[in-house]
Amino acid sequence: MTIHAVWVINKAGGLVFSRTYSDTLPTQTLNATLILAGTLHGIHAITSRLNPITGKGGLESFEGENWGGKIWMSLTGIKLVVLHSIAHQGLDELMKKIYEIYSDAVMKNPFQTLEMPINSSLFESRLLGLIQSVN
Amino acid sequence: MAQSATYYNPPPPQSSSSRFSLPSTTSPSPSSTSSPPPRREVSRTSLPPSGLQNVFTPIPGQGRNVGILDRPLNKTRGGEVSNSAWAFLFAEIISYSQSRVDSVTDLERRLASLGYEAGQRILSLLLLRNTLTTSSKDPKREHRLIPILQFIHTQVYKYVFGKPADGLERSVEGEDEYMLTCNSPPLTQHISIPRDMGQLSCEAFTAGLVEGVLDGLDVPARVTAHTVPTDQYPQRSVILIKLDQKVMDREEILAK
Repeated sequence: MTIHAVWVINKAGGLVFSRTYSDTLPTQTLNATLILAGTLHGIHAITSRLNPITGKGGLESFEGENWGGKIWMSLTGIKLVVLHSIAHQGLDELMKKIYEIYSDAVMKNPFQTLEMPINSSLFESRLLGLIQSVN
Repeated sequence: MAQSATYYNPPPPQSSSSRFSLPSTTSPSPSSTSSPPPRREVSRTSLPPSGLQNVFTPIPGQGRNVGILDRPLNKTRGGEVSNSAWAFLFAEIISYSQSRVDSVTDLERRLASLGYEAGQRILSLLLLRNTLTTSSKDPKREHRLIPILQFIHTQVYKYVFGKPADGLERSVEGEDEYMLTCNSPPLTQHISIPRDMGQLSCEAFTAGLVEGVLDGLDVPARVTAHTVPTDQYPQRSVILIKLDQKVMDREEILAK
């Protein structure tokens, strides 16, 4: 049960926040991570068009050997992505908690510009506290 | 005349006379069409003599829509504001102010001036409520320095933030300097200052508030806010009160 990384992707598919919380994840340059996040945004958009039931709501999780990813999109179009080990319990609650921290520390911060990279020490420290309690 | 009459509900027979007297009391026919239409609610209760008065008569009060200004002043229950609402409002205030200032000092001054206004009002309100709750024959207002500071430390902070300040101490540097500490200030708990604005403390609003209260009690002082983080409390803030020489002189006389 490890959280490898947390990403925040904005409405346009740009990566506004990414942090790695384990050393097992292969190191990548920031540019490579940006491209990956953009691609994931695209896949999410494609899968949401394929959804036969409601016509909205795309990719929610993906799995590989011993690892997986969970995607959660807020009503405003912000996507939270968590890369984690398998099997991981309580991911839904974790996503909710991350979103709570996001809405507190990012959205209520007057020095944060919407859709721009998140530069808040409060967000980082609270997120770190949350992830450490899980890892 | 016909136009102004169309705003009414079908009138009950006895009110028809007042309906036709309406244009004659105000002015001749053409202006009666341009005058503001009487409200529907009014015709439901009773018809006042002139159309103009209709506009100024308050809508018959329904108990559930009592506005904030109509609420009794000594009623405290249910008057709390949610922290999120405050956080969003304060964030907007800061970004609004930020676009109109050149420096961090100016921004703090703007926030402090807003707090000052709030402080003056809070002082009046608290004193009034204290008078109402205790015996109204013996209203009391502190005039010595230490009780005034304790009044701010407990009563004002408790009213504004829901809890007293975490500390009140005299500075080691000067007799005229006092410090109010708050370990995790609720007003600015979601704000993280970017690195390039290092010295800014949004608690300047609280500093202004304290200054407003002190000024209202005739204790002029220069009040500033500083963030003094500790490991346990990364957002700990200190409100530094530097009292005017006049206050120190007065205290000396009163102490005799």
